Amino acid sequence: MIPLRFCRRTVLRGTALLLAPLALPARLFANGGRLVVAADSEPRNLNPAIVASNGVFFVASKVIEPLAEASYDGRDGLAPRLAVAWEGSADGLSATFRLRQGVTWHDGKPFTSADVAFSALKVWKPLQNLGRLVFANLEAVDTPDDHTAIFRFSRPTPFQLIRNALPVVSSVVAKHVFENEADIAASPLNNRPMGTGPFRFAEHRPGEYYLLERNPDYWGEGEPKLDQIVFRVLPDRAAAAGALEAGEIHLAAFSQVPLADLDRIAKVEGIAVHTRGYEALTYQLCVEINHRRKELADLAVRRAIAHAIDRDFVVRTIFLGHAQASTGIVPKNAPEFHEADVPAYPFDVERANALLDRAGYKRGQDGVRFSLRLLPAPYFTETRQFGDYLRQALAAIGIEAVVVNNDAAAHQKAVYADHDFDLAVAPTVFRGDPAISTTILVRSGTPAGVPFSNQGGYENAGIDALIDEAAETVDTAARTALYRRLQQLVAQDLPLINVAEWGFVTVASDRVANVSSNPRWAVSNWADTALES
Amino acid sequence: MSVLARLARTPEGAAGLVLLALPVAAALAAPFLFPADPLAIAGPALAPPFSDAAFPLGTDRLGRDVLAGLVHGARASLMVGLAAAFVAVAFGALVGTIAGFSGGLADEALMRLTEAFQTVPGFLLALAFVSVAGGSLPVVVAAIALGAWTGPARLARAEVLSIRGRDYVAAARVAGMRATEIALREVLPNALPPVLALSSVIVANAVLVEAALSFLGLGDPNLITWGSMIAEGRTMLRSAPHLSIVPGLGLVVTVLGVHLLSEGLAEALATRRARA
Repeated sequence: MIPLRFCRRTVLRGTALLLAPLALPARLFANGGRLVVAADSEPRNLNPAIVASNGVFFVASKVIEPLAEASYDGRDGLAPRLAVAWEGSADGLSATFRLRQGVTWHDGKPFTSADVAFSALKVWKPLQNLGRLVFANLEAVDTPDDHTAIFRFSRPTPFQLIRNALPVVSSVVAKHVFENEADIAASPLNNRPMGTGPFRFAEHRPGEYYLLERNPDYWGEGEPKLDQIVFRVLPDRAAAAGALEAGEIHLAAFSQVPLADLDRIAKVEGIAVHTRGYEALTYQLCVEINHRRKELADLAVRRAIAHAIDRDFVVRTIFLGHAQASTGIVPKNAPEFHEADVPAYPFDVERANALLDRAGYKRGQDGVRFSLRLLPAPYFTETRQFGDYLRQALAAIGIEAVVVNNDAAAHQKAVYADHDFDLAVAPTVFRGDPAISTTILVRSGTPAGVPFSNQGGYENAGIDALIDEAAETVDTAARTALYRRLQQLVAQDLPLINVAEWGFVTVASDRVANVSSNPRWAVSNWADTALES
Repeated sequence: MSVLARLARTPEGAAGLVLLALPVAAALAAPFLFPADPLAIAGPALAPPFSDAAFPLGTDRLGRDVLAGLVHGARASLMVGLAAAFVAVAFGALVGTIAGFSGGLADEALMRLTEAFQTVPGFLLALAFVSVAGGSLPVVVAAIALGAWTGPARLARAEVLSIRGRDYVAAARVAGMRATEIALREVLPNALPPVLALSSVIVANAVLVEAALSFLGLGDPNLITWGSMIAEGRTMLRSAPHLSIVPGLGLVVTVLGVHLLSEGLAEALATRRARA
């Protein structure tokens, strides 16, 4: 007798095959599908209420939502999420948020103003990298009813700042999850995020993937459209392009596909390149300067360096056109604050050389005036390439730059803790309002060790006073005017040199719909993102 | 017949000499052919090879001349390879000679140390050393030598052990020479030839380790090397493959040349011994 082996799996597989043609047509027109996305990092702490950084938001923003999200056409550039209306008082001492009704957490409990109060006082203000600044003067959060939260400040806090910061600083976590945790920052619950978002956190396999699953009880009508999102960990940038072409992933955000490969991949059938969707995530390429070095404390030298950099070359060759030249510390795509009327430093090697000659830095026998250590940040290919370029640009004006390459940890330590550098290349980020992550680049007094802050020893009493004044100016027009003035002062005195500003590029399969639908798309909730068949 | 002539007669040796002549000539001629800094931006970015007479092998992402990089890279690769091999052989031979000649506790201690180094893969050792000490040329040379000196040390010790009991050493001792003098003037020179034969393998290996370190971004960023060229070209492997292939060929030619040469050398030396 022939041993016929029937196991349950074979039978099931057979039945499934038979049924497949029947199931397929219905599936074609229904919602759903699994979106596979390339992820290039696995953050140590996945709680966006604590670590407000793009690496965390990329995954966690689908699970945990902010009060409001950035929007192309909404009022004040915002679209409501967990808050539906917001208003600041005239004296800057309070801000009122009306919260969305009928929202439940992923565990079924209702979302209320108590959660917002808990998040603000126990997480954002004491623990969050950016919330510490924005909510520095937050004293109390009143909750007159379940759907109203009133923030009370001890000193005037401009509502313009709160509003601009909302998408980044206001990720709400559940009070009932964290209230009994002794140390919220170190809690293992941070890596199993639970929120109100369109997707539930299902699984994380280190080195392999994050799996998010559809939240059937999401408050958004007919959302989310996807059944699952898989973030496949692909730390190798070259691999993302290959995986896209092979159809293994549907989407690679944050320029995971190298810029140099875009021209080629744009021609591949079924793949589209999206350059929108990063307007509120503008990265700035800047040269950080250590003012403790006596040559660099000389304004003439800083101006000469600014004149030696061909911003056009940087935009065209290093960023292959996916960037624009900078005029100062506020990028052009923040029109609310950007000041165009600032001293400019056009590319002019002769003028740079003349400035240095006049300042008394004579060229030696070998044509070198003096030598500097240059530390390019290792985070992006572009920052490293700009380091290589800057070395050549400085050579043209007789400054020898010795490039020192470090890994991310060693770079942060050398520049921001030990001040062991002369020039550094940094990718700083503009986050919607100058008070969030921009003024810290030029104001003195930040303790050593804080990354992306003024660690170059620059001190300017005028600039410090202006920043302090703006921090408590409640009137939007007056506050904006102060920041415009700040840009002029910075461009004049060059505590750092801004070179270019860039957004990223998303490369996605044609089947992915609603890509880049808001100015923070990659780190927004993807509730309306769909996969067409 | 000299060793060199015999070397050229063996097929491996001849092929090795021819192959190796290319990078050696490039390294020697580099400052005359391309006197400017090979890292300088010389022309339009990403010019394909054979399209512009000024840049026969094209240019890279920033517009640097690939041919200038190739030629200057030969210089860096050979320099690091030879320097690392020299340091490894000199240090290894010294340790081996001391261990073999003095014997006893010193021998035990030195050989256990050698074994301790042998248990750690040479590349890991270099990787750790460079990430701690920073990527400058002397550090890279030291890092590579750190993982390569054990071979010469063991070989030298074995040779010394066999030479130590020979008649001429005994004669030197009777003549009243001091122990260090005997070790350095009588024993070491005679123990050296097989160790030197090993050195060519070390050179080839050192060239590869240096390329790997630069590829990982741990080399000296102010120096153009084949490894760093490949690392930069890798992201554009699909759109501009020449950026990786050209320095890759440089590596293949050099390492193959050195290996063939060492094969030929071993054969030439063996014939000499057989005849002697």
